[in-house]
Amino acid sequence: MSSENKDLIWLSSLRFLLRHPWHFGLSILGVALGVAVVVSIDLSNASAEKAFELSTEAVTGKATHQIQGASEGLDESVYRSVRIEAGIRSSAPVIEVYARIQGLNRTVQVLGVDPITEAPFRDFASQEAGIDLSEFIGGRNTGLISQNTAQEMEVEVGDTLVTEVAGVYHDIQLIGLIEVENERSRQALESILLIDINTAQRLFGMQGQLSRIDLIIDENQEGTIKQRIESVLPEGAAIVRSESRTETVAQMTRAFEFNLQALSMLALLVGMFLIYNTMTFSVVQRRPLIGRMRALGVSRNEILFTILKEALFIGFLGTLLGIIAGIFLAQVLVQLVTQSINDLYFVLSVQQLSIDPYSITKGLLLGIGATLIAAYWPAREASKAEVTTVLKRSSNESKILSRIFPLAGAGILVGSIGGLILLVPNGGIAAGYSSLLFMIVGFSLIVPALIVGMAKLFRPIFGKVNGMIGKMAVRGVVTELSRTSVAIAALVVAVAATVGVGVMVDSFRTTVVSWLGSQLQADVYIQPPSSVARSADSELKPDLIEVLKATEGVERVGSVRSVEVRTNFGTDNLVAIDHGDAAEEAYQLKEGENTFWEAYDTDPIIMISEVYAYRKNIGLNDTLIIETDAGKVPFTIKAINFDYASDIGTVTMNRKIYNRYFNDDAISGLALYAEEDVDVDELVNRLRVRADGMQEVFIRSNRGLREASIEIFDRTFTVTIVLRLLAIIVAFMGVLSALMALQLERSRELAVLRANGMTPGQLWNYVISQTGVMGLMAGILSVPLGILMAYILVYVINLRSFGWTLQFAITPDVLLQAVGLAFIAALLAGVYPSKKMAEANPADALRNE
Amino acid sequence: MKKSIWFIVIILTAALIGYGILEISKEEEIRASISVAEAMGGGDEEGYLRATGPREFVFPDDHGPHPGFRTEWWYYTGNVFTKDGRQFGYQFTIFRSQMSPPDSGAQDNAFNENWNTNQLYLGHFAVSDVEAEDHVFEERYSRGAAGLAGSQADPHRIWLEDWEIIRIETESGDDKNFTVNIQAEMEDGTSINFDITPSKPLVLQGEEGYDPKGSEKGNASYYLAFTRMQTNGVITKDGQEYRVSGDSWMDHEWSTSALDEDQEGWDWFSIQLSNNYEIMYYQLRNSDGSVSEFTNGSVIDPDGNKVNFDTGEVTLEVLDTWKSPHSGANYPSAWNLSIPGKNIDLQVETAFPDQEMDVSVRYFEGVLRLRGVMNGEEITGNGFVEMTGYGENENNEVR
Repeated sequence: MSSENKDLIWLSSLRFLLRHPWHFGLSILGVALGVAVVVSIDLSNASAEKAFELSTEAVTGKATHQIQGASEGLDESVYRSVRIEAGIRSSAPVIEVYARIQGLNRTVQVLGVDPITEAPFRDFASQEAGIDLSEFIGGRNTGLISQNTAQEMEVEVGDTLVTEVAGVYHDIQLIGLIEVENERSRQALESILLIDINTAQRLFGMQGQLSRIDLIIDENQEGTIKQRIESVLPEGAAIVRSESRTETVAQMTRAFEFNLQALSMLALLVGMFLIYNTMTFSVVQRRPLIGRMRALGVSRNEILFTILKEALFIGFLGTLLGIIAGIFLAQVLVQLVTQSINDLYFVLSVQQLSIDPYSITKGLLLGIGATLIAAYWPAREASKAEVTTVLKRSSNESKILSRIFPLAGAGILVGSIGGLILLVPNGGIAAGYSSLLFMIVGFSLIVPALIVGMAKLFRPIFGKVNGMIGKMAVRGVVTELSRTSVAIAALVVAVAATVGVGVMVDSFRTTVVSWLGSQLQADVYIQPPSSVARSADSELKPDLIEVLKATEGVERVGSVRSVEVRTNFGTDNLVAIDHGDAAEEAYQLKEGENTFWEAYDTDPIIMISEVYAYRKNIGLNDTLIIETDAGKVPFTIKAINFDYASDIGTVTMNRKIYNRYFNDDAISGLALYAEEDVDVDELVNRLRVRADGMQEVFIRSNRGLREASIEIFDRTFTVTIVLRLLAIIVAFMGVLSALMALQLERSRELAVLRANGMTPGQLWNYVISQTGVMGLMAGILSVPLGILMAYILVYVINLRSFGWTLQFAITPDVLLQAVGLAFIAALLAGVYPSKKMAEANPADALRNE
Repeated sequence: MKKSIWFIVIILTAALIGYGILEISKEEEIRASISVAEAMGGGDEEGYLRATGPREFVFPDDHGPHPGFRTEWWYYTGNVFTKDGRQFGYQFTIFRSQMSPPDSGAQDNAFNENWNTNQLYLGHFAVSDVEAEDHVFEERYSRGAAGLAGSQADPHRIWLEDWEIIRIETESGDDKNFTVNIQAEMEDGTSINFDITPSKPLVLQGEEGYDPKGSEKGNASYYLAFTRMQTNGVITKDGQEYRVSGDSWMDHEWSTSALDEDQEGWDWFSIQLSNNYEIMYYQLRNSDGSVSEFTNGSVIDPDGNKVNFDTGEVTLEVLDTWKSPHSGANYPSAWNLSIPGKNIDLQVETAFPDQEMDVSVRYFEGVLRLRGVMNGEEITGNGFVEMTGYGENENNEVR
């Protein structure tokens, strides 16, 4: 056939699409929604990553290595030794803290540097960049921010920046602006406050201390230079590659990001089902046309390609729309993702969405690819069929009815494969998700059989409620199974996804709430404001601690100290606790020896959280080597505790043991136990009055802290909940589009009913009943699949991502919501077609065919 | 429709989007500079001590630092030789620069466990390998705090990280004349380790150590010098150690402001003659090219007596110039220096041309070769010349 004629087929296809704008529009919407969710999550993740990379780049500069201390700081004498004794010229002292500046709605990184040694590291912080040394290091509190940040804050050189660090306020005079030379620098430097190292030591109480020393070591001489440096390093200080710090941080968020991505893929999967549904539908609808074309001599391949081309067209338009919508959606999501990262891991400020070409390409391929894959089977089915059978639709219906059991058998098989994948040892998160995929596909193959079964069950009930029309409506679902089953299966998957995620979040929340109940044993908790909500990296001022301890009504005091240490696994979070006997009550042990609490006062033993044990693959009686101020010390793991506060895991030891190995008196948080008969709220007020003006700290009652913790928990899950909401919207649109198309397509059948004497009211009833039945079926079927998905999410994917033990909690809310969602959407889907058909002249409808 | 145009449209659109995105996300380096409001910059001498007239010097204190004055330097140059006569010149200088007036809250506390300071130290170290015509140099900075750099009178020690001038106790030493050890190493391994002992008494240059440099009161420095110092030690260059000995020259000068506004630089000569005389001569150049009236010089006789001469009768005639490939500046490279009142007539030239210090403030500091006649007697000698203010935009001198 010539290309002219091929175009003719294509034109007929285009005409079909244009004549069915609802169908056409809804198909595009299905693709667009799926792509939008994937692209937006991907872009948010990529933006967060890029922002992190940029801020690291600004702070790390060109340093290849860093010298770090055992715990928080590093004695500045180390710098003198490195520079003078070891003669290492490419070295620079750095102090780094987080702060907030009044008038700027984000956390900034305060970088304390010596501008004289900065040039090779961070050229914007160097003397050569133009810093006025006499203003900068001359002993006053002065600093620099980027010109864009200054514009944003509407401040000028000479103004004072009120800067809060760990609850203490400092006035820093702005003596100059960092003028960025390109966009990348603008982003990298927008959350940096640059001050002199002396100013930093003085303001942050770090006299004699540095955060770290930056080094540039030539690769060719790495060995000898490291040796030279190590010969002057004290115990506890060590050289690490500067990327290793970045890597540690990147590793933290890997599971988190992967899960977000997986959830977004779930949305695409739902979208794929919708596309499959619409494509099947459009093929089924055109079977007579296709039959006629085949009879006229159009070849199978031409039919196949035309349908695929059509799918490509829909896929492309939908993907384009989806990408644009995804970019807009990402603007919102990136804030939520950032918030979660800030609460969970580290401080990150993403001021701008960066459009990652990789994410866009991925969205493009996924959207078009998914559409093509979804359209392939319907297209193949239509092109393979014999000319005579294609002309009859009934053949298709009878075929599927005879196939429901083989299909269900295949479904069970596929589902079992999914189950088997779970048994693969060390399967990882990806295996968890692929198992999930298999189960979803398996379940949807069983759907036709389940529909037939449910229809038998429903018919008498609907007959009773709605008489003849009710019965007809139920039977209609089965007689047109080839169309309804695909639509219902798509709905089941869409709705089940919302159930799965909903149950997972509920399980999580229930577990955390009950854990908090036992963990929080004291009456009042005091913490300095911390840059990362779930960690305590700030310190309480010693004089404040004394004042609080001596407050009337305080019986006992416990404390925690949280620091980052280097272990044989990398950089980890170490918590030193001083809770006396209360510790035994507060810490729930998952595994541990009976004698743990006796020995923990005196022996070099530690307790690790289950997440830590899972992540590092270690267990009881294993040894963890921690780099302390007294050198590398092996600690034996004698207990594993539940801890839902950190998804990176923590190592806990007694403060007495900590003091033995670390030269660190600081306290990160206090727990006060009230005397009997003391009103805790009054005690909190009394403590607040006494702390006033010393340091801005959070003083919270047990209840207050519990509420605050749950609030943070909810906040970190906002992004998950938003994703669930998006899945609900996709599902809703799916129900709407599938059922509406189904009904619109039945105009001829409905016209026959009208011609046979059905009143417009009865027709309306019939259509709404039928969509309602389908919605109800989908809703009910989504419950078991949803719970299955939740089960995998909680017991496989969560465990493999984070290692938490969660209590499985199903609340009726989530299930009712799912059934209600499907049912209401289904009812709505019936409104327009029934109205249209009821109003139309049946004769016209019949003639049109 | 002849062709499926939309296929082309799709490809074009995709390509366009792809290109646009790649264009947006081009990787760039983080680059920035600092802008400071004009008024914030320092620059005036308000609040600093000034050299306003001769003063009584007390030792060892006056060999040490003089905080309160804005600028101070300890300046060693010398020519040393191996046993087989291979010649090396060296310059080793530590500058102290005060960034804010004495009572502004910051302090000079090199030993304090504290980075708070208003003192900045700058070091210049250069070696001239005359045989190889190779001049290597290095510059260093540090704040004068946290033990990184500093200066002290008793015991005498001036240091910038591991570059150090330190008094070593000897039998003949006293608080005015003592032996110092200088140690310094460059990144490339070039190093010196010298013991340096004054061979002649301390010279108070100018008017008893007070040396006016401009017409404005206070535009002057205090200026002490050892014009001949016995130097022994080791020089390492290109991985090779050379045991050397020879003579060094030391200047210690401090001031708050020296040059007048219309002075743009100077040519300064330190000459050690074979007849055990030394000559110090400098001329300040005005921006119009003429020689300033604040030109000064002295001749030290073998016994260490300083004889000032009338600078009006000195002629310094430039015989040749050298254009620096680094800065493009035209430096004189050969002179005729004649002091008729002292019966001195010298042919002076740089030992080799390229001894420019291409550091934050560019200048020329080089080994001299000279011969001539003094009191009718043929003489030779060694020396150093320092030339500043040559080339464009070079009016922001450290020294």
